[in-house]
Amino acid sequence: MTAINKVAVIGAGVMGAGIAAQVANAGVPVVLLDIVKEGDRNRNVIAETAVQKMLKADPAPFMSKAAAKLVTTGNTEDHLGLLGECDWIVEAVIERLDIKQALYRRIDEVRKPGSVVSSNTSTIPLASLTEGLSDAFAADFCITHFFNPPRYMRLLEVVSGPATRPEAAEAVSRFADVTLGKSVVVCKDRPGFIANRLGVFWMQCAVSEAMEQGMEVEEADAIIGKPMGIPKTGVFGLMDLVGLDLMPHVLGSMIGLLPKTDPLHAVHREMPLISRMIAEGFTGRKGKGGFYRLNREGGAKVKEAMSLSGGQYRKQIRPDLEILSTSRGDLRKLLASPDRAGRYAWRVLGQTLSYAASLVPEAAADVASVDEAMRLGYNWKWGPFELVDKLGVDWLVERLEADGLPVPALLREVGGKPFYRTEADRRQYLGTDGAYHDIVRPDGVLLLSDIKLTREPVLKNGSAALWDIGDGVACFEFTSKMNALDPDIMALLGKSLKVVGKQFKALVVYNEGSNFSAGANLGLALFAANIAAWTEIEQLVAAGQETYRALKYAPFPVVGAPSGLALGGGCEILLHCDAVVAHAETYTGLVECGVGLVPGWGGCKEMLARWSTLGKLPKGPMPAIARVFEIISTATVAKSAAEAKELLFLRPTDSITMNRYRLLADAKARALELARDYQPPEPVELTLPGETARVALEMAADGFHRRGIATRHDLVVSGALARVLSGNGADVTKPVSEGDVMEEERAQFMRLIRHPATLARIESILETGKPLRN
Amino acid sequence: MKTVVIAGYARSPFTPAKKGELAKVRPDDLAAQVIRDLVTKSGVNPDDIEDLILGCAFPEGEQGLNAARLIGLMAGLPASVGGVTVNRFCGSSMQSVHSAAGAIQMDAGEAFICAGVESMTRVPIMGFNPLPNPAFYAKSPGAYLGMGDTAENIARQWGIGREEQERFAVTSHQKASKAQAEGRFKDEIVAISQGNRTIEADGCIRAETTAASLAELKPSFDQTGTVTAGTSSPLTDGAAAVLVCSLDYAEKKGLTPLARIRSIAISGCAPEIMGIGPVKATTKALERANLSAGQIDVIELNEAFASQSLACIRDLGLTEDRINLDGGAIALGHPLGATGARIGGKAASLLKRTGARYGLATQCIGGGQGIATVLEAL
Repeated sequence: MTAINKVAVIGAGVMGAGIAAQVANAGVPVVLLDIVKEGDRNRNVIAETAVQKMLKADPAPFMSKAAAKLVTTGNTEDHLGLLGECDWIVEAVIERLDIKQALYRRIDEVRKPGSVVSSNTSTIPLASLTEGLSDAFAADFCITHFFNPPRYMRLLEVVSGPATRPEAAEAVSRFADVTLGKSVVVCKDRPGFIANRLGVFWMQCAVSEAMEQGMEVEEADAIIGKPMGIPKTGVFGLMDLVGLDLMPHVLGSMIGLLPKTDPLHAVHREMPLISRMIAEGFTGRKGKGGFYRLNREGGAKVKEAMSLSGGQYRKQIRPDLEILSTSRGDLRKLLASPDRAGRYAWRVLGQTLSYAASLVPEAAADVASVDEAMRLGYNWKWGPFELVDKLGVDWLVERLEADGLPVPALLREVGGKPFYRTEADRRQYLGTDGAYHDIVRPDGVLLLSDIKLTREPVLKNGSAALWDIGDGVACFEFTSKMNALDPDIMALLGKSLKVVGKQFKALVVYNEGSNFSAGANLGLALFAANIAAWTEIEQLVAAGQETYRALKYAPFPVVGAPSGLALGGGCEILLHCDAVVAHAETYTGLVECGVGLVPGWGGCKEMLARWSTLGKLPKGPMPAIARVFEIISTATVAKSAAEAKELLFLRPTDSITMNRYRLLADAKARALELARDYQPPEPVELTLPGETARVALEMAADGFHRRGIATRHDLVVSGALARVLSGNGADVTKPVSEGDVMEEERAQFMRLIRHPATLARIESILETGKPLRN
Repeated sequence: MKTVVIAGYARSPFTPAKKGELAKVRPDDLAAQVIRDLVTKSGVNPDDIEDLILGCAFPEGEQGLNAARLIGLMAGLPASVGGVTVNRFCGSSMQSVHSAAGAIQMDAGEAFICAGVESMTRVPIMGFNPLPNPAFYAKSPGAYLGMGDTAENIARQWGIGREEQERFAVTSHQKASKAQAEGRFKDEIVAISQGNRTIEADGCIRAETTAASLAELKPSFDQTGTVTAGTSSPLTDGAAAVLVCSLDYAEKKGLTPLARIRSIAISGCAPEIMGIGPVKATTKALERANLSAGQIDVIELNEAFASQSLACIRDLGLTEDRINLDGGAIALGHPLGATGARIGGKAASLLKRTGARYGLATQCIGGGQGIATVLEAL
């Protein structure tokens, strides 16, 4: 198989540049070329500007500034020769067949034999792209359709033609999966492939039905969002995000390519309101506003929305739809409701599910592919066929018939059977052959959700569970709401450490929530503070410290495997692990100061130890302390696993897994590797200067206060942090133990949690989600 | 009494810390190149040099370990030449000159290299390990006050508004950029090589600075204050050196003296208003020279901040047309340890260039001091 060690991307637009950035994020060198801009002295200006822009963009396409150095920029006139070194060449230029084909001919002259060429086209059929090109080119060609933004969207649609070498598509798919972290869905060579084919239909349907049924955008989004497992942007918020002007283009090209019999034609209609909005520059978030906007006229910030009935902006409304509260969790009840909300929900979802069923086998080989494409390409919680199973296929067919809507063959042929089932501990989907097939995970993919289908937990309480994931490895899972850390988790973790010591070789701390853990349960802390349960709070802090310390010094290796947010106590548990295998999209930090506290579960101590031993800093006692003070006092959060390494939330020896699905398997492998000849770490002694360091840190904080960067309470909090980090009462002649630092952590935590300004900060976070700057 | 003269002056380009062209150059390499060039240019016989006196405000890291000795050897000075590193913060290399002058008067040497260096990129202000005395800090926090905060204090106590500071800063940039455009730094700047790179131009000067562009900046040290990055000297990398010797020696060896050192002075003031230090120091030096401020033709007043410069000008009764003819530190930069040698050497060169009689170089010093040198044309 072609090993992919170097990649080229041609076309430095949003997609091309984003793809190049993701290749660089994976540590693979990449060439990014675009055309020479007429009249500009710098012949590489387009590609160079794209990289510069990405370095400033938020959300960031690059996972670290260092990744940008792996991108070599150039132009297609002078630097096409660089393609000769590349194993995979991605074309992401303008959607024009003549331009793409002309480029392919030039690529074919310089590329090395066996290198794979792929197009990121979203609209042009593969058959047209390769028409008239050499057989060798067609054999090495496929479509790789990324989603925007390429770093964050996990879906990659891959389309092979009849001439495509299977190994070529396989090489690219494997690279996309393991190295770039994408999940590959194989699509047929049909317009829009899978996700956009269904997604565009769904959006079109949701917009035109809203107009016809007299819904307002807030109402439509409330109905479409949470009840259907769709991100809360719903459909109008999503259009604002992708740009209103993009829709007519995509829709137009799809309408042009699909036969008249396709249901898309039936839902497609002119929308004067949208045309007017585009013409006036209201193209969404990138323009002057979209269906939603923040009106800053007159200095005030007013949240407004476009009235679909009136065609004017007005103040945002809070949808008052009773059925949403009475049907909570019961999708069928919502769809069956005779009021206008229910009718709207049914019209949109009924037609969308019907359309989804019409795509198998036309555009997708099976229902699992369609579901995966919608989950990863549109962030739907459930794929369309999972939604059908929720409703019951018979019920759906009946309603479609009653409304005179199309009932695709697939829905009739299944004969009332669900599309998914669990049989003999295996998850299966219903194939077009009428038989159930196992959902096969690729090699190196292990999902806790699969394991949970087949086993009972070793231990379990209301907030956590311990699982046997095979080969002598246990997995500790948080199951509390939002994975917030609470006394139950600490209790079960303590118990688990004993059980693992007797029955297993190693432990992995992992879960499959969107976020590993956003930290301690602040609601509980606030409640305890409000009833002045100081002893209980101190016990909780002490229990956390002791449990994490026990985890660190356990006689077996512990591997942390986070993805998403790992904040506060969620970061501290990772700091105590022997190793971390982090998903690339891990956002970790000690954010306690933001709520007026200091890290209380050993985070200060671990960060001091790391920066003293691993930080590349000048000698002397202060540089490590000052750096840790800076990181913690400003509640710095690493915006990727790569950044977490720079901040030493991860050690240089910790590893990063790009594909979320591969995280558990990688962590398990690392745990087994450590289990051979495992020795627990030796306790660290720290040399801390005491008062003098505290004064130095406080002087710096005072300066920030005068500059207006640190607030009054920031000074109180950073003062407490300074006491911990300086080693209260320490002296350079007398090393300080981990226990000494933890004792001070606890003391300062307890001092702060009694402070009214800290309690006000916690209240603000709990009530508004926003930090209070008091 | 012996007559002590400045008989040579050289400096590196001054470039902004971190983002400037000297950011990757070690301070010892930087100073060594400047000293080597000064020795060649001045024509002094290296064997005659008694000592290399090197000023440095944060003598640690790459500029630590008695940098003077190492830099002397790196510059190719004979092993017989001594090396001492002196620290009087911003006044360090002016102190080098004063120490040399005193030694010459004592017959303790004929020729001295008085140099200064600071890489504010590679050794941070405050150093790597600031460890203040907790008890003393509790009693006298002002002794540790940041420089920007002292500049705010001066602005407040002397009633110097933001606009006036900005006007002063713009003038500094205009004078410096004019001097640069007319090639008036050519004689003093030593091109610095690093690998196959050569750095030969000052990097801090901004010809395009206007009062309007400065007015947009936020206060740098106090959100309610008036001092901004635009009215402060920038963090800078650079080195400077002068040759100090007796007039007898210069004449005997055929060197070209620029000016004689007429008097020197050091003085202390309250740390919270360290920027006013030059007033007392200058007053003392002028008294020792039996001169009045009005008699001074050419003045190099270090522009640590516009506020303190203006306060000193006001209290000493100076006029701006005599001050910093080729621009000051706000435009050129202020590599702490190197500035004293720069303004001493510059004032001496300006006397030669303008044909004027009396010159003054003076500067404020963190912690609350002033230092001054009065020069006279020969």
